[in-house]
Amino acid sequence: MSGVSIQIKELSKRYKSAEFNSLTKLSFDINSNDIFGIFGPNGAGKTTLISIACGVIDASEGSLSYYMDSNKIELNKFKEIAGYVPQEYAFYQELTPIQNLEYFGAFYNLTQKEIKKNTQEILTKLGLIKVANHKINTFSGGMKRRVNLAIGMIHKPQILFLDEPTVGVDVQSKNAILKFLKELNKQGTTIIYTSHMMSEAEQFCNNIALIDQGKLIAQDSIENLLSAYKQNDLETLFINLTGEEYRDV
Amino acid sequence: MFKFWMSIKKEYLQLINDKVGLLLMFLMPLFLVLIITIVQNSAYQIVNENKVSLLIVNKDKGAQSVRTIKLIEKSGMFDITIDNSVDSINIKRVLLKQDILTAIFLPNNFSEILEQRAKNISQEMLSDFGIAKDSSFNNKPKSSFQINFYHDPVLQDNYSISLINMLNSLISSVENSLMIESVYSELGIEQKTARLRNIALSNKITINKIAASNNNSNLQPNSTQHNVPAWTIFAMFFMVISLGGNIVKERINGSFVRLKTMPTNFLLVLYSKMFVFLIVALLQVALIFSVGIFLFPYIHLPQLILPTNFLSFISVVLLSALAAVSYAIMIGSVAKTQEQANGFGAVSIIIFAAIGGIWVPIFVMPEYMQIISNFSPLQWSLKGFYILFLKGGNWNDLYTIILSLSGFIFINFSIIYYKLKLDKII
Repeated sequence: MSGVSIQIKELSKRYKSAEFNSLTKLSFDINSNDIFGIFGPNGAGKTTLISIACGVIDASEGSLSYYMDSNKIELNKFKEIAGYVPQEYAFYQELTPIQNLEYFGAFYNLTQKEIKKNTQEILTKLGLIKVANHKINTFSGGMKRRVNLAIGMIHKPQILFLDEPTVGVDVQSKNAILKFLKELNKQGTTIIYTSHMMSEAEQFCNNIALIDQGKLIAQDSIENLLSAYKQNDLETLFINLTGEEYRDV
Repeated sequence: MFKFWMSIKKEYLQLINDKVGLLLMFLMPLFLVLIITIVQNSAYQIVNENKVSLLIVNKDKGAQSVRTIKLIEKSGMFDITIDNSVDSINIKRVLLKQDILTAIFLPNNFSEILEQRAKNISQEMLSDFGIAKDSSFNNKPKSSFQINFYHDPVLQDNYSISLINMLNSLISSVENSLMIESVYSELGIEQKTARLRNIALSNKITINKIAASNNNSNLQPNSTQHNVPAWTIFAMFFMVISLGGNIVKERINGSFVRLKTMPTNFLLVLYSKMFVFLIVALLQVALIFSVGIFLFPYIHLPQLILPTNFLSFISVVLLSALAAVSYAIMIGSVAKTQEQANGFGAVSIIIFAAIGGIWVPIFVMPEYMQIISNFSPLQWSLKGFYILFLKGGNWNDLYTIILSLSGFIFINFSIIYYKLKLDKII
């Protein structure tokens, strides 16, 4: 099988001095070319899972294996082909998109020539080429989201982690981002995505995992899950499985 | 290497976009060094150039007051104004009104009392020798003779006392001369007093003033030699606002985490920050020292004289800069918010500066503050500059300074390493 996939086995995480596990014995696979959604209430452990998968933090127990074209690869190699788009605007707003892409591109081991070429391409696709030399702190929220995405994509990753990529943006920006991501997936990029917008996720994802209190409560394709739980939409299924109580207090 | 240069480029771009940081690092110290040097210059001139304004009010009509005034003039210590119309009640008012620092009031019986005292002592001496005893001599001890010395309250106590001692010594020499004249007169050999006076003068012990420097430098601590290095050190450490704040911002906005997901070593980011801000610190030194060397003479301030031991000078500059950079990165790594980094960073530097002798030299501080000042890294840097600028010091003299600053840098980097490790950034 071509592309990048991830195998998660019995994965647990407990932060130092924490009373409970943030993740408990999670096991599932993310197949290559998937658009894989990870959903759950606030504090469910979604960001912890993505952080472990991206190599930001270590797991306490269990394993997470990376495969490229069915061959197992190490984390360092995985980092070269993986992209990460955090929920925060994790870039330098006092600089321009080009200056940010030059900086982060270099850290993905790209040459100056590659950075220049990829920057032009990605900024054009995301509708930012006209403002490529403007300081980002003058941009709207939607434009900043697209810059955030562009940075995670500068090295044309084969697997992309997106943490709430459309939060706080207008409909136009949201559609542009999702359209771009779908196109990217068609070209073979595996996408791992978290969101609170269930209707958006329903249209966007192939497979999903529902996590609550660090535990996997359901994982399959959307169609299979809706049919298995006899629900009409993902939001109702989500409420059904996780309950209506607040989870962030 | 490409990563490193791109990282340096990013730091440079961030720096030139940080207008407030640039103002604080370059313009603020320039203003401070100019203003404080001008303000302190007159105070240093009083101490170093020893020309103190002195108002003499002479109510005496005798010869001894004239003799005393001539000696005071000859000492070269004073800018003298003589105004005999002032009375003892108004002298303080005149002193303050005319902006004169000191005044001495010679009463109308000054010559008479001086001559009488000399005569009494000479009679006593001759009596002890069994040579003569004047029938008019009264051997009862005389009450001490007092002359009033007035001074501006801003004049430091120890300096006033030095001036009083000097005036006392001049009056004593007139008195001694009178005493010799009186003894010779009693012995009937008045014509020989001039010869004796000449012998006494030629035998006078001369005390040479030699500064304890290693290169026979005659440089004196003046406002420039103190303020230029002092405010440069302050400016270097004040980069905590720009660098510390910048690190917190990157940590909070997720840039550091994003970098962690990339196939690179985070230490590269730290090295590029250190490199850029070391250059900033060196530019601060170049700018502020250039002002001291080239601009100050044009505005009638003492010119900054650089030390001759250039290698040691560069070492102290580099160590001070590295101490400032490491402190700023440490604050940036430990602080939870940008406000915390800016607030704590600025306040801690101001406290370090205050106790470290940046604002006022250590020697004017009370003893316990002089002990406390040893805990300020700004004081170690300043001491290093003092050793080089004023004492012509060598590596041996700089040993403790180099050790202290290196220790400080090591501690800062250890904290940075521990904190970044704790945050899983490295």
